[in-house]
Amino acid sequence: MNNTFNINRFGKVLKHDGLNFFPNIILALAIIWAIPVVIYLFTCLMPSDETTQLYDPFSRIDIISTLSTIMLIIAPARLYRYCNDPRKGIGYAMLPASTLEKFLSMVFYCIIVTPIIYIAGALAIDSILAIFHGPYEGFAVSYYFDRFAQINAIFDKSNVMMDESWILYYKSLSPTFAIILSAIGSLTISSIFMFGNMIFKKHKTGKMIGILILMFILFMIIIINYAVNTEVLTHQIDDKAEFVKHTVFFMMNVMFYAEIIVSALMLFGVYRKIKTQKY
Amino acid sequence: MIKINNLDFAYRNTQVFKNISLEFEKGNIYGLLGENGVGKTTLLKLICGLQKPQHGSVTVDGLIPSMRQPDFLQNVYFLPEEVITEDTTPEKFIQKIGDFYPHYDFALFNELMKELEVDLSKKFNELSHGQKKKALLACALSLKTDYLFLDEPTNGLDIPSKALFRKVISKYCTDESTIIISTHQVKDVENLIDPIVILDRDDVLMNASFAEIIDKIYFEYGPERLQDAYYTEMLPGGYINVMPNTEHEESNVNIEALFNAVMKNKETIKNLMK
Repeated sequence: MNNTFNINRFGKVLKHDGLNFFPNIILALAIIWAIPVVIYLFTCLMPSDETTQLYDPFSRIDIISTLSTIMLIIAPARLYRYCNDPRKGIGYAMLPASTLEKFLSMVFYCIIVTPIIYIAGALAIDSILAIFHGPYEGFAVSYYFDRFAQINAIFDKSNVMMDESWILYYKSLSPTFAIILSAIGSLTISSIFMFGNMIFKKHKTGKMIGILILMFILFMIIIINYAVNTEVLTHQIDDKAEFVKHTVFFMMNVMFYAEIIVSALMLFGVYRKIKTQKY
Repeated sequence: MIKINNLDFAYRNTQVFKNISLEFEKGNIYGLLGENGVGKTTLLKLICGLQKPQHGSVTVDGLIPSMRQPDFLQNVYFLPEEVITEDTTPEKFIQKIGDFYPHYDFALFNELMKELEVDLSKKFNELSHGQKKKALLACALSLKTDYLFLDEPTNGLDIPSKALFRKVISKYCTDESTIIISTHQVKDVENLIDPIVILDRDDVLMNASFAEIIDKIYFEYGPERLQDAYYTEMLPGGYINVMPNTEHEESNVNIEALFNAVMKNKETIKNLMK
């Protein structure tokens, strides 16, 4: 029998992990599904002029997207909490399947199944609320997959991003590339937390968030230090608009490749940990 | 066949095995004996691939356990000492993992659960500690793997359950299967295990069948303590003396006395059994 990958055995791993899926994640799903409902109830109690923005389907999509990111963050620790536990992880390690099959099943449930189930449920809840509540303008599900409508809505309504460069950047993307960009962002988040789930034994998500915050602070210190020392800011100040546009395009490109590299490294790390974890 | 060659293993600064070599042949129920902390569980984990040797090699039917290949994993099952169960019934648990094992027998599982007197309808967390252990034993035996590793399986079992344990192990062990039972409660596995492996810190003091033991060591039950005995222990009505079998007489092995004799005369008995 092929010891690297066998489709029948992979099916068995998917079935095995699938049977563990709902018991392990249903509570987290229910809590996160309930948040938009709580926001809805809250808006019902507020004067309508203060909550108009929350009725907007794009705002609701933002909430659902943010919560789906939270689901991506917590899913590995919910679904595969014990896979590196010296005592409770023995059953997982001894399951007669290859590392690749276990890894692919983990990826399937953490990166694909969890967000799909969450988003499907959240959009269904939103639709039910939209049916029952007049001020809700339309269904979030109508716009969820229209990324350009979402981006336009953000730029039309928000005063935060005043610079045209961001709009130019997003408008320069093809619809397919915009979806790929979004998917890679989600993959990066998920793979980082899958890796955290494999290296930490306890408080897996919290520790990984802590590390990310520290890395972000470190990164910002380096960038600011670099900018000040090389006087980049003062040199570019004369042609600020061009500088910002150039920087935004450059940063987004760097981010895109960095996300691909980070995701690949994290996923390879997860694979290696499944293969070599000692119990 | 399990072959261990020149194995070195340490946990950080604690050396567990130093250059040990050992073989486990197919079709036997091995008793892996040793004091607490000598590395019985570690040895089982090394054979299962849950740990990796620092030096030397461990192979099971030519496969390297630490690679955790499906061909290897589908032929072994490890039942740890600590009872770790899921929030489900034993029946659902075995149905979930059984598909992975080529010789898995659900009818046998039901038979074993009845024989071990475990309620099929209850979830693991509704069962007592001993009941959980018996349910997991039924799961392990119904997978019908070539190699079964049981770590302190009788811990927490009451006296009738220990008898049931011995009964099912001897009944369902086939010529093809190898069972290694790690224990420090030697009386629980008396009349069940053969051969015996006795571990010491960094060393293997004995790996011998009962026939080999009887050939070299004589167990004398009598009214007095003998001076040339390796070990003597007072029993109700007399003494048991463990001595060299110079006359090649037959006797009944008393595992507890043998274990104590080996512990008191490590080098002497190790050299005697070579």
